[in-house]
Amino acid sequence: MAVALVSLTSGCASLQSSATEVGGVRKTDDRSVRDGGTLTVALNSDPDKLDPTLAQTLVGRTVFAGMCEKLYDIDEDGVVVPQLAAALPVTSADGRTVTLKVRHGLKFSDGTRLGAAAVVTSLLRHRDLPGSARGTELAPVTSIEATGPDTVRMRLKQPYVPLTGVLADRAGMVMSPAALKKYGKNFTNHPSCVGPFRFVERVGGDRIVLKKDPNYYDADKVHLDGVVYKPIPDGNVRLANLRSGDLQVGDQMGPVDVQSALTEPKLQLFNSPSLGYQGIGLNVGNVKGLGQPPGKLDTPIARDVRVREAFELAIDRDTLNKVVFQGMYEPACGPISPQSAIAPGTKPEDCPKRDVAKARKLLKEAGVKTPLKIELKTSTTPEQGRVGQVLQAMVKEAGFDLSLRPTEYATMLSETDAGNYDVFTSGWSGRLDPDGNVSNFLKTAGAMNAYGLGDPGIDRLIAEGRTVADPARRTEIYDELTERVQDAHTMIYLYRQKNYVVATKDVAGIRVYGDGLVRVTTAGYTR
Amino acid sequence: MTKYLLTRLRQSLITLLLVSVVVFAGIRALPGDPALALAGEERSPEALAAIREAYGLDDNIVVQYARFIGHALTGDLGTSSRTGLPVADAIGQALPVTLELAALSLLLAVVLGIGAGVVAAVRRGKPEEWIANVIALIGLSIPTFWLGIVLVLGFAIAVPVFAASGYVPFGTDPVDNLRRMVLPAIVLGSGLAAVVMRQTRAAMLDSLSADYVRTARAKGLSKRSVVGGHALRNSLVTVVTVLGLQLGHLISGAVVTEQIFVLPGFGKLTIDAVFTRDYATLQAVVLCTSAAYILINLLVDVVYSVIDPRIRLGGAR
Repeated sequence: MAVALVSLTSGCASLQSSATEVGGVRKTDDRSVRDGGTLTVALNSDPDKLDPTLAQTLVGRTVFAGMCEKLYDIDEDGVVVPQLAAALPVTSADGRTVTLKVRHGLKFSDGTRLGAAAVVTSLLRHRDLPGSARGTELAPVTSIEATGPDTVRMRLKQPYVPLTGVLADRAGMVMSPAALKKYGKNFTNHPSCVGPFRFVERVGGDRIVLKKDPNYYDADKVHLDGVVYKPIPDGNVRLANLRSGDLQVGDQMGPVDVQSALTEPKLQLFNSPSLGYQGIGLNVGNVKGLGQPPGKLDTPIARDVRVREAFELAIDRDTLNKVVFQGMYEPACGPISPQSAIAPGTKPEDCPKRDVAKARKLLKEAGVKTPLKIELKTSTTPEQGRVGQVLQAMVKEAGFDLSLRPTEYATMLSETDAGNYDVFTSGWSGRLDPDGNVSNFLKTAGAMNAYGLGDPGIDRLIAEGRTVADPARRTEIYDELTERVQDAHTMIYLYRQKNYVVATKDVAGIRVYGDGLVRVTTAGYTR
Repeated sequence: MTKYLLTRLRQSLITLLLVSVVVFAGIRALPGDPALALAGEERSPEALAAIREAYGLDDNIVVQYARFIGHALTGDLGTSSRTGLPVADAIGQALPVTLELAALSLLLAVVLGIGAGVVAAVRRGKPEEWIANVIALIGLSIPTFWLGIVLVLGFAIAVPVFAASGYVPFGTDPVDNLRRMVLPAIVLGSGLAAVVMRQTRAAMLDSLSADYVRTARAKGLSKRSVVGGHALRNSLVTVVTVLGLQLGHLISGAVVTEQIFVLPGFGKLTIDAVFTRDYATLQAVVLCTSAAYILINLLVDVVYSVIDPRIRLGGAR
């Protein structure tokens, strides 16, 4: 008993001492490091193709952060800064010509030179390769050409402000033309870019090995000999390996694992707010499937906005965050993160509060018979299961009978894309430019508008947000858009995850920014 | 014997072909579009169409099957739709891991299970039998995941004798290999050891009360010769059957163990393939596992006929 008490109190003590770290934000660790050593980073799933044009996964972006630099990057504050480009792009007065300069004298990992021609080759491939996941992002670009050894000019169909943000992601990764020519479709097994580390080998499901690249322009700043990325989907297993020292960095740790990690003196925590969102999508008009114009759906939630408003009013975001995520995520009520450097969105404290009485009143006005039966499709993770249970309990008080249907991820995508659902848990990892968080989801017949939302007002704001360059005006546009989306109650935003990264204390120099990627360029073992 | 073997071999090939049809159709009956699973977060209609075309997902299922079998016969198992790596490479990398894990678990199960089973039978009614029974019951009842986590906490974190995860090939570093494989082998082998122990004990009890053992004892043979040479040898037919069936489980059932210890074997490959609807990998993995099952059954039959010639004669007639 005494032993149990002592361990309990000591556990609490260390929890409290680190509690400030949980509440605050910690993106970097600037202690000085020594040269040498290999870092093993655990990812929560196995990345897909290591080809910037075809890659789709967030974990894949983390691996790219180690080996493929981009024309632009974001800094600690989420502001776009040049990386392979020499300066921010210059846009013509009519907004339809964008010119960018590439840094001089850089080399790819295969030793060939980076120049404007390589940038053109990569951008064209991103835009045109069949199956490219970058095609939509670069669709407004009509021509790309090199106008000098280090100068690239792009012409656009119409002004397209999100372009810089797009080039700060995978669409801005420049691949070695020599490697593209040599390996073609097989580039994914021999990726070659400009980066602190170069690709060595990949054993599917087990590891991706990178080693220090002597051709890297800033090789002096790179201290590690190499980095190994290991997919370990189970949070418990990741934590056990961090404790045993088999791993040094655990990416995307869940709140439960973070709480548990904080009792361990050998471990440290990094965290940054994310640019994404999590919430639930309500089917209001998806009858023909994704990408099709919305149709008429004869359910109470689709028919009457008051029913949807009642549903949202029955939810308490703070309690959800506390119960399911130990308060470690952030309540949210809009598509754009308040952390966004471009047009910051609604703050958590400004989100609508729970009002059960009003919810009941609205349901009565709408004339629906209570309890109103609704089915919520969630993914099969324990966290999503708990989100569903908490929502179930909350909306019950307002008169909803919410049943849960945990559905495996790929199946859920098929069913929700086809419109075969009432409500489903819907989330997005987030993009730097607000446009990346709204256009595909909220535009009528948008590529990922599984809700069947069709609102000309929202469509107009999305189009305007893409073309207006003035930051102040953009903020206004996205504020208005958020308001409209909130009034539609079709996508109910609930919380924003935070990027929690747990590392052993002998590792310094890793960086965790708002895009959720673990940057290892300057990482190393402490002296 | 040759005729018996040929008959069994032919049956095995037909079974394998039937399995391939079932596997192929079964995987495609799974809900969830592989193109969607692959496209994940960012899915534009153009990208989905390109993915479907690249992997021939739009073709008729019969055409897809014919293409799969045609390629499989030439040794081409296709390309993983998720990673773009050749499936044959993935299997080549995963197979040694799972085989080593299965072999170590089997060794553990055989040594512990048969040993404890013999002791329990010979020392019937004594404390040794009781202890062996209790341990076997625990071995059968403990969930794999729990045992795995407890062993990791105990022997990889609190007392870091073994590693918590990962795989190093035996050829690269034998000591490190064993350091990483012992805990998974215990986790996977414990259940089997319990099964083997119970089977051995039951079969030994039968044999020990049989007439030929009484005769052997009456002839004044040593206890060791009676137990080892007569009773155990006759009990082994049942034990080999159980081992054969369980070996298949070891290869296919290593899923949980491989997840806990992050071993890049067949189990992990299968799980990843299921979640990403990676048809090429999934059908190759299931087919290889089925082939292993069929092969093991064949070997079990052959071993039977060696242990007990009556089986061979029956089959050849």
